Amino acid sequence: MFPIRLLLIGALICAALTGQVSAHHEDLQPKIQALAAGSLKDRARTVEALLKTGDSRIIPVLQHLAAGSLYVRKSDGLVVLTHKTGASYDATAPLTGEVTAGLAKRALKKIKANNSLRRRIKKGLSLFALSSPEEDERLAAAQTLLTSKDISILPLLETRLEAEQDEEIRTALLEAKAAMTLQSDASDAEKTAAISILEEMGGRQAMSLLSQVEPLLSKAVKEQVLAAKGRLESERQLWELLQNGWYGLSLGSVLLLASIGLAITFGVMGVINMAHGEMVMIGAYTTYTVQTVIQSVAPGLLEFSLLFALPLAFLAAGSVGFAMERGVIRFLYGRPLETLLATWGISLFLQQAVRTIFGPTNQEVINPSWMSGAIELGGLSLTLNRIWILLFAIAVFAALFLLIKRSHMGLQMRAVTQNRQMASSMGIRTPWVDAFTFALGSGIAGIAGVALSQIGNVSPNLGQTYIIDSFMVVVFGGVGNLWGTLIGALSLGIANKFMEPLAGAVLAKILVLAFIILFIQKRPSGLFALKGRAAQS
Amino acid sequence: MIPLTSSLLYLDDVHVAFDGFKAINGLSLIIEPGEMRAIIGPNGAGKTTMLDIITGKTKPDSGDVLFEGGLDLTEKDETEIALAGIGRKFQKPTVFESQTVRENIELALAGSRNILASILYQEGEEDYERITQILETIRLDHRAEELAADLSHGQKQWLEIGMLLAQDPKLLLVDEPVAGMTDAETVETAKLLRDIARTRSVIVVEHDMSFIRDLDVKVTVLAEGSVLAEGSLDHVSQQPEVIESYLGR
Amino acid sequence: MISRFLFKGLQGKIGWVAGAILLLSVLVPFCNLMLPESHLLYVPDYAVSLFGKYLTYALLALALDLVWGYCGILSLGHGAFFALGGYAMGMYLMRQIGPRGVYGDPILPDFMVFLNWSELPWYWWGFDQFWFAALMTLLVPGALAFVFGWFAFRSRVTGVYLSIITQALTFALLLAFFRNDMGFGGNNGLTDFKDILGYSLQTGTTRAGLFAASAIALAVCLMLSSALIRSRLGKVLIAIRESESRARFLGYRVEHVKLFVFVLSAMMAGLAGALYVPQVGIINPGEFAPANSIEVVIWTAIGGRGTLIGPLLGAISVNLGKSWFTAALPDYWLFALGALFVAVTLFLPRGLMGLFSGYSTKSGKSGNPLTRWLPFLASDRTGGKDQ
Repeated sequence: MFPIRLLLIGALICAALTGQVSAHHEDLQPKIQALAAGSLKDRARTVEALLKTGDSRIIPVLQHLAAGSLYVRKSDGLVVLTHKTGASYDATAPLTGEVTAGLAKRALKKIKANNSLRRRIKKGLSLFALSSPEEDERLAAAQTLLTSKDISILPLLETRLEAEQDEEIRTALLEAKAAMTLQSDASDAEKTAAISILEEMGGRQAMSLLSQVEPLLSKAVKEQVLAAKGRLESERQLWELLQNGWYGLSLGSVLLLASIGLAITFGVMGVINMAHGEMVMIGAYTTYTVQTVIQSVAPGLLEFSLLFALPLAFLAAGSVGFAMERGVIRFLYGRPLETLLATWGISLFLQQAVRTIFGPTNQEVINPSWMSGAIELGGLSLTLNRIWILLFAIAVFAALFLLIKRSHMGLQMRAVTQNRQMASSMGIRTPWVDAFTFALGSGIAGIAGVALSQIGNVSPNLGQTYIIDSFMVVVFGGVGNLWGTLIGALSLGIANKFMEPLAGAVLAKILVLAFIILFIQKRPSGLFALKGRAAQS
Repeated sequence: MIPLTSSLLYLDDVHVAFDGFKAINGLSLIIEPGEMRAIIGPNGAGKTTMLDIITGKTKPDSGDVLFEGGLDLTEKDETEIALAGIGRKFQKPTVFESQTVRENIELALAGSRNILASILYQEGEEDYERITQILETIRLDHRAEELAADLSHGQKQWLEIGMLLAQDPKLLLVDEPVAGMTDAETVETAKLLRDIARTRSVIVVEHDMSFIRDLDVKVTVLAEGSVLAEGSLDHVSQQPEVIESYLGR
Repeated sequence: MISRFLFKGLQGKIGWVAGAILLLSVLVPFCNLMLPESHLLYVPDYAVSLFGKYLTYALLALALDLVWGYCGILSLGHGAFFALGGYAMGMYLMRQIGPRGVYGDPILPDFMVFLNWSELPWYWWGFDQFWFAALMTLLVPGALAFVFGWFAFRSRVTGVYLSIITQALTFALLLAFFRNDMGFGGNNGLTDFKDILGYSLQTGTTRAGLFAASAIALAVCLMLSSALIRSRLGKVLIAIRESESRARFLGYRVEHVKLFVFVLSAMMAGLAGALYVPQVGIINPGEFAPANSIEVVIWTAIGGRGTLIGPLLGAISVNLGKSWFTAALPDYWLFALGALFVAVTLFLPRGLMGLFSGYSTKSGKSGNPLTRWLPFLASDRTGGKDQ
């Protein structure tokens, strides 16, 4: 019952819109037939004429023309809509709906269209869509009208506005009307109202619409346009600032993820782990491996492969870290420069190992659908994967913070770093605490790798791209201070992104590096320094 | 320069705080030329921090630190203070381990420290004699050509004192000189410091009470960053505040 | 007095080694140019260039050893000074091409014509003169080291912090030199050199000459370093390495001494880079890569830091190994290099020089041979002063 009523309403609206439908009924068939003859130019004229009829039966005809499936049947010269089934075609007569099946390709002749014709058809059809029963279609149609230069449809818009109930579609229609009003010879008062509607709409489109009509206007209205443009421009700048802030926050969260494990190994334990970047790389390759396995074993779970990858990456990177600590680093405590060299050696080793196993080229990690796409927020565009990474970084930070401050293991870790001998004499097995702390830092680098595989290349050099930045963050924030790492990462990310529009990406990075080099010389212990005798010893 | 005081070292109302913790809290201290002073006090009383302030390692938040009446030590760094005539021995003996005992003393020997002079330096007869003399004073002449790393803990302490002597300072700051020494070595060290104090001022920070007694000098007791008592060892050790601060409340 | 200072540099083993290198500077060119190819002692052309290159590496390692081995400053950015010296020489060689470039511009190098630049940037002025370029190969790295060191040492950035920011320094330069508008050829760097001082770089005589120049430079720097180390300043350097604050409390201007040796070392690295570029025929931003600088550290560590011969030995042996590996087992070179880093730090902290030589008598832990060779067996957490 319901769909039928809807259709009826649609038909009624249609009739109201076009008025003279029945009067030209007989003229429609020859007009459609006219499409088959003449040049492209003639065809454009015919299309115009068809659109003018306002008859909804031309919609499929024009759609087929635009799609390249409108043909002439050679046997009787009738224009038909075709549908390809296998090697043959089914032809439908546009008005009667009579179907002839199984026509061979050579029984038909294609009616060609070019791009400008297709555009014209699309625009013309959008007028029809204005009276579509589907709200989505009406909205889309109203939005495409915004850039239409055809002011002849103004009265039509008025009619539609009266009939339209949906607030959103009404707004879109009003905006389209405003744009057209400015191009028409309406009074200055109407145009002023139109300007404020467009200004309210905002965004880049309003800006360009206003710029386009500006030369056509009278002096008084022009001033208003200029004022509106000024306000729009400052609004745009504000949005741009926010957008840059978002990019900065996003880069900051990447830096935070990359450096947070280092804040443990370097910041808390004082171990210079140059293979930290390779822990991130191991995490990324774990993600890739998990995805490959799931793809072949249970493709249905592919969407959730990241959830499987997280714990596995933690374990993989964590156990490599554990092995490193037990096998090499523990012999080098108290000798930071040697640690630096040995871990650099390990990083070369790990890179080459990955290159041997997975090959030197980039591997593709698929973004699950819940991480693809973007959210539009006013003038902001926030991509979903970046939002997830920001949330993830904060979650990892919070978890780590709680682990260190609240858990028993965290207590032992802090005890060992503050006074090894005392901790050991109180029964804490310091070697194991060392090994697990290092494994924890490495494991966190591993899960950072899972996240970072979503926004960059997964290659054997992945770690190298992050290692210097990570050290900069930890040193800048102040060694041994998790908050410092958080603030350091975010502020460096934001600083970088705000400098980019001014200086270009590479120069911005150089400037940030130079700034940190100078900063460390001014405050060798970073933003949040430990003070007192503990810091000096 | 107009001498503000006739004393060698003058600390007045010095404050320093680390993250809110008041390590030195209104400390005042005066050392006269040629005086030897012992500083005692419980752990955390601010003894080492006080030495850090005098030698320029830590800058005080407020207060005056004057040397020889007019030199404002709060504005100088370690090097300038060392060159002005203040030598310091660390709590943990700090010598150059991969160099010989003689080289250690040679490096400390008074003289021009600039780069060109260091490159062109030739050891003369006079310097050689002086080094030998210092090595005899610190009883290490028989080990002059050995690496400092091979010395015992007590001998390293002595070597460090020897280096201070070679520096020829007006004021010597000695932080726990007898930690880790045998009783015999402790007695020897006390004798050595008394010898040294004949020609210059010395501040000794120490925990070892029998050693302080051996030194037989005026004692200053520090507690919670300021002076608690001053006087002879017998005098201060009878004061109730001192006993309380050592034993706790 | 100065001559006596230099004479000190020739005493002992160093004198012999420097002499041997000087002898090589004559012998190798002779064996290459004068002997027939069939002769037993004939040195082929490629070997002359290859060993010439190794000599510049050895000089770079020596430069690093002065700051790291003797003064405890681990620079992870010495490749930057090397590359800057190389670029200065490369700029001279570029200007020497003159109208023989692809675009035939008498003044502008090809890449500038390609970028539609109309005139030479000011910082390229003077590089058509050899003396000027030669001066710049020393002054530019020296100036960078001075500015960097001035800030770093004055604010007492030490240990790993210093290492990390030197690494950031070379990384920032890497990024900068990749940019086309820096005016140093961007990604491609400077190449297609034709001749140096009027001699074609393609001839065997020039190659032999460059080899001799590298050998002489190495020998001279070796003597200079040796003299420096034997002077009182050398003792001060070691003193700073062992206990910076002790040196400071003895009245030494630690930051000045460090700055002096850092700048000197940067200049030596620049000289090495300047000799390297004409022998390999190219300089590009890749030379600034942090990995390169760290490789220099491992040459020095393998040879034996804190000795003058060690870095030479390390640079040459590691690079021989690299040449062999990349030819025979290309996939395994990084494994070998990685293992080398780990093995040297764990088992050979004094490098190859620690294996030979009477250094054990100078050591505090000479007693137990096991702990001497496997020092980690004796390692404890409190022990071991690093910087």
